[in-house]
Amino acid sequence: MSRTYAVAAVAAVVLATVLVGGFGLRISRTTSDFYVASRTVRPRLNAAAISGEYLSAASFLGIAGLVLVHGPDMLWYPVGYTAGYLVLLVFVAAPLRRSGAYTLPDFAEGRLESRQVRRLVSVFVAAAGWLYLVPQLQGAGLTLKILTGAPGWLGDVLVASVVVIAVAAGGMRSITFVQVFQYWLKLTALLVPAIFLVLAWQDDGSPRVTFDEQLSVFRADHPLYATYGLIVATFLGTMGLPHVVVRFYTSPNGRDARRTTVAVLALIGVFYLLPPVYGALGRLYAPELIHGGDADAAVLLLPGRLVGGLGGDLLGALIAGGAFAAFLSTASGLTMAVAGVITQDVLPSRGVRHFRLATVLAMCVPLAGSLMVSRVPVADSVGMAFAVSASSFCPLLVLGIWWRRLTPPGAIAGLLLGGGSAFLSVAITVSGAVRPPGWPHALLAWPAVWSVPVGFLAMVLVSLATPGRIPAGTNAAMTRFHLPEALTSGRHR
Amino acid sequence: MRPLPRYRTQSEIDEQTALGGAYVRSLMRSQLRAGLTAFTVLAVVVGTLPLVFEALHSAALVWAVLGFAAYPPLTLIAWWYVRRAERNERDFARLVEGRPAP
Amino acid sequence: MTGAGYAVLVLLALLLLAAGFLLGRRTARPLRTSDVGTPVEHATFETLHTASLAAPPLRAGLTEESARRSARRLRSLLGTEALCLTDRERVLVWDGEGEHHGRHVMDQVRDLLASGRDTAFHSDCDDLDCPLRWAVAVPLTVDNRVLGTLIAYAPRESAVLARAAGEVARWVCVQLELAELDRSRTQLIEAEIRALRAQISPHFIFNSLAAIASFVRTDPERARELLLEFADFTRYSFRSHGDFTTLADELHSIDQYLALVRARFGERLAVTLQIAPEVLPVALPFLCLQPLVENAVKHGLEGAVAVPRDAGSVPAGETPTRITISAFDAGSEAEVVIEDNGTGMDPERLRHILRGEGGHSTGIGLLNVDERLRQVYGDDYGLVIETGIGAGMKITVRLPKYRAGVHGS
Repeated sequence: MSRTYAVAAVAAVVLATVLVGGFGLRISRTTSDFYVASRTVRPRLNAAAISGEYLSAASFLGIAGLVLVHGPDMLWYPVGYTAGYLVLLVFVAAPLRRSGAYTLPDFAEGRLESRQVRRLVSVFVAAAGWLYLVPQLQGAGLTLKILTGAPGWLGDVLVASVVVIAVAAGGMRSITFVQVFQYWLKLTALLVPAIFLVLAWQDDGSPRVTFDEQLSVFRADHPLYATYGLIVATFLGTMGLPHVVVRFYTSPNGRDARRTTVAVLALIGVFYLLPPVYGALGRLYAPELIHGGDADAAVLLLPGRLVGGLGGDLLGALIAGGAFAAFLSTASGLTMAVAGVITQDVLPSRGVRHFRLATVLAMCVPLAGSLMVSRVPVADSVGMAFAVSASSFCPLLVLGIWWRRLTPPGAIAGLLLGGGSAFLSVAITVSGAVRPPGWPHALLAWPAVWSVPVGFLAMVLVSLATPGRIPAGTNAAMTRFHLPEALTSGRHR
Repeated sequence: MRPLPRYRTQSEIDEQTALGGAYVRSLMRSQLRAGLTAFTVLAVVVGTLPLVFEALHSAALVWAVLGFAAYPPLTLIAWWYVRRAERNERDFARLVEGRPAP
Repeated sequence: MTGAGYAVLVLLALLLLAAGFLLGRRTARPLRTSDVGTPVEHATFETLHTASLAAPPLRAGLTEESARRSARRLRSLLGTEALCLTDRERVLVWDGEGEHHGRHVMDQVRDLLASGRDTAFHSDCDDLDCPLRWAVAVPLTVDNRVLGTLIAYAPRESAVLARAAGEVARWVCVQLELAELDRSRTQLIEAEIRALRAQISPHFIFNSLAAIASFVRTDPERARELLLEFADFTRYSFRSHGDFTTLADELHSIDQYLALVRARFGERLAVTLQIAPEVLPVALPFLCLQPLVENAVKHGLEGAVAVPRDAGSVPAGETPTRITISAFDAGSEAEVVIEDNGTGMDPERLRHILRGEGGHSTGIGLLNVDERLRQVYGDDYGLVIETGIGAGMKITVRLPKYRAGVHGS
């Protein structure tokens, strides 16, 4: 593959992202255009922005790699990533928007009126955000390695600094238009090459894809349990991802938040039709990746293998650009969210300078993690972030929104027991202390099956045991969460 | 942009009286029912699918279901839920404002 | 006090009168029933009528004027030789004979003013013709505070008079209490109007209407649009519910304000808006940006200093006023910047104003907004103002996207 084209594509994506962000804000508007300027973000636009921020390196590179190695069972990942939005829609979307919370700690404080719970939630937000950032950095490092042949660590460091500088300088704020642009870029970057790849495959005589000699690196024992662990984590974890929650604030009201979520479902559903194509073709044309090597690279390598020539180079460059867009949008969104939490709840005073400091802090930890920890497949480590989110934030959000008897001690117990145990399991798995095969490893690698019930149970039981601690404003909060806009605003437009 | 007149029940809700609380709780129950219905459909289907795949042992089926067929139903359930939730809210607003059903 | 308290007092007054009426009927034991009324009934009617005549003056409170106008009615209610009304310091009015007794009155009621208990005293004097030999003094109390006294004089000791004086005094108290209510209600309305004036200056209302009027003939459609903007703007500014609003609503109101200002100044005012849609749902204290824009307009029109960039559309020799309003996303906060190229202000003077020592009318809006922002978000979130004489002014407001208890409605 020609490196020049790919590097040019990556540079173009970075530049375009910064430019769209810069100009989207700086277009001056006169009063006559005020109604255009002040129009709140429509559900479809916001949905594209959410999708743009959500589709990460795990979606762009990881799924195809996993499918290539482990076969179609891995398609539970994209289904789970999508279905997570359905669960978010039916339990959380509208009430969360109506709560007026910008971040999860905001929600916890507003609902439970406790600084203590707020701080604990902040810790978990940072933890989940970091877990999610590690694979983004590793994915980006891998991309750079394949594109330029640079050593892996250099890619991680380089890319982490790019994001820190961009976020801290304000060039990569979670501006709606930038993220919308990112979504369409990612879709195009997978769709167009996919069409050419499928055509090339037909020219090749449409050989059948077989998964008979499935290699299962650590899925051989208890695959059914792993599947359920994956389902629970992704279905229930989406609602707690910090960069997802922040985006709902942009919806003008709860009703639009719901409609936005449906549009997100459709948009990411369309996107997820593509990675399996790459996985299947990779099985045929990059079989060496099954046995060791970075399977995540399959998407990047395929155009060169199948199409070749200048066409292959250009398609490869397009994919590289898309992969970089995936990495940039998710990483900057996550860094923003984590840095926001650090600024508000860790650093003493607020202000722009502190936000910059927080950005560096937000990136340092996952960078260290990505350098020290051995490479786990991108999609798998993202799955761990989902497991932590599902065991801590899902009980907090669902019970906080629908159950009046939730108390601060209950929330703390649930967060610590559910989220804490999930986090510990993930940490033990990543550290490699418990190795496959065997139940201990399976239980620790896919903790959601047991840690989510633990989180819910702890929250409910401790809350029931501390009825005196029900926050005074519970009824007011419930009314605010659930009352339709037509009745709260007192006037309508 | 005429201001909505403040209705009696509305002020019960605003002031969080016992009666207002009853109204809000009934709204929450109807919304929770809608959410749980959607979630149950999802959980039952998704919960049994791995077992079905395990029993049939057909890679083609897994490809077809997880690669393509899963997404339209997800969007359809979401669409149904949004319609149901918005209807609940309209009904509730009508109940509070004391307007007869059209 | 509330409307309920008000109603209770009115009811009390009516009940008292009704009780007196019934008491009169019961004790009079009418000799015969008559279609045109028994003497007792007539006497009651007369009493009620006299009371109703005495009431209006007392509703103005216990002053010399109200005392003078009601004293005669009160004396005829009691049917006594002399009646005196005092406040806490002096005699307000003396009605009837023996005015020379007035000199000693304040000494005689000193204890009563302190204790609030009815007293009676002999009022001997050197004048042998003077009929006033005995007096009963009753306190006039409102909210457990003794405002003054009612003193009824008689030729001799009389339990009936003592009782009657007590009743009349109580009736007067009810009237005074109502007066107090009236006054506090007026004060409330005045305070509200003052607050509203702080929000919308009367000049602005006058100028807007004048500008609209100038379009009525030449461009009726524009006049109609402007009137609608005016109506919308005032409704938003005068709205009574909720302390918080959303940035979208506040900016919408600012847009209407600017439309009205531009109707008057046209090309002299150039407004640029840069609004990031992400921050529109941010909740913020009601009307905390509009005064800043008004300030910018005022300063800008006082004398713009910057070199005009597109002088073509502006009459020669005149500099257009540029006002830039931008709102953008800054992570967990939103930042709103309002900038003008007007006369600016001496930073030292501005510091005085923001410390509340200015006393200058231009700074009131700034001070008020600054105080409210600090109150809601804490001292870190006050206004940040960059200015200098002749250098325009740039005001930066930071708004946290979420703060417990702040919900835009």
